[in-house]
Amino acid sequence: MTPVKIVVAGGFGVGKTTFVGAISEIEPLRSEAIITDASDGIDDLFEDGTKTTTTVAMDFGRISLKHQLVLYLFGTPGQDRFHFMWNELARGAIGAVVLVDTRRVEDCFAAIDFFERRETPFVVAVNTFHGRKLHGIEEVRTALQIGPEVPILYCDARVRVDVQKVLVAVVEHAIDRVKSEAGVG
Amino acid sequence: MSIWEPQKIQIGGRMVRPYTMTRGRSGVAMPLVALEALVAATPLGLRMRHRFKWESAEIIKLSRRETAVIELAAILEVPVGVVRVLVVDLRGRGAVTITDPPAALAGAAEGQIELLQKVLDGIKSL
Repeated sequence: MTPVKIVVAGGFGVGKTTFVGAISEIEPLRSEAIITDASDGIDDLFEDGTKTTTTVAMDFGRISLKHQLVLYLFGTPGQDRFHFMWNELARGAIGAVVLVDTRRVEDCFAAIDFFERRETPFVVAVNTFHGRKLHGIEEVRTALQIGPEVPILYCDARVRVDVQKVLVAVVEHAIDRVKSEAGVG
Repeated sequence: MSIWEPQKIQIGGRMVRPYTMTRGRSGVAMPLVALEALVAATPLGLRMRHRFKWESAEIIKLSRRETAVIELAAILEVPVGVVRVLVVDLRGRGAVTITDPPAALAGAAEGQIELLQKVLDGIKSL
């Protein structure tokens, strides 16, 4: 079998684990890493000084695909102060999903910044879990200040076909990216 | 590598410092095994499983079916960094194989597209 992965990011409580769980063939598992952390606040994380430890939990799921492939979905730790861990998760990823709650659009800014800077192909999935489609796609695009090339979709993170549709969009977007960079059709 | 450094963890009712399982090695000097790398027990590993310490023996048992490093860590409730060191050891002794994520993803465009098309086809056929 060949392992591949897609990262699922977004603000705290936006529904990342629900999203993973909707399509994973296993109950989403939680792996814990205990990190060395500054004791007195997030801004001092990289400074020397008194350190304490904090546990970071990563939720992930697994989907067996045909062609001897197995796809892992990794939910990023939600809190801002764990963003430095995202490098580890994003390394070698096919692409990423940024889950957005339209009531708290700004919660996903950090994720978008990260994937843009890293040039990881990503799509934005607007989670309709908490209500109806309150915002138009273009309204969301404007609010997130992202270019027209980034796909934006609605999805209910509880619904398997919705999640499947989002994953299809990630891989298609990744293919488009490779093609445009290579100058192929 | 400060991010995978626990102080102590509980394993099967025992409270231990996790890196005692790796005899103090953190894996910093080794090439990093990916979180999604797949570990598979070899027939040799299954035969000599009882000769390993608990954690390694469990890894071999769980890897009868190919299992990712991150899954092993989650199931055994052991930090990922510890599992990384143990699986590299086990591979060195012929007890498991480790399948890394495909090199094609970092390679030429044609190879990337071919692999991505397979993934796409796989997700669409779910």
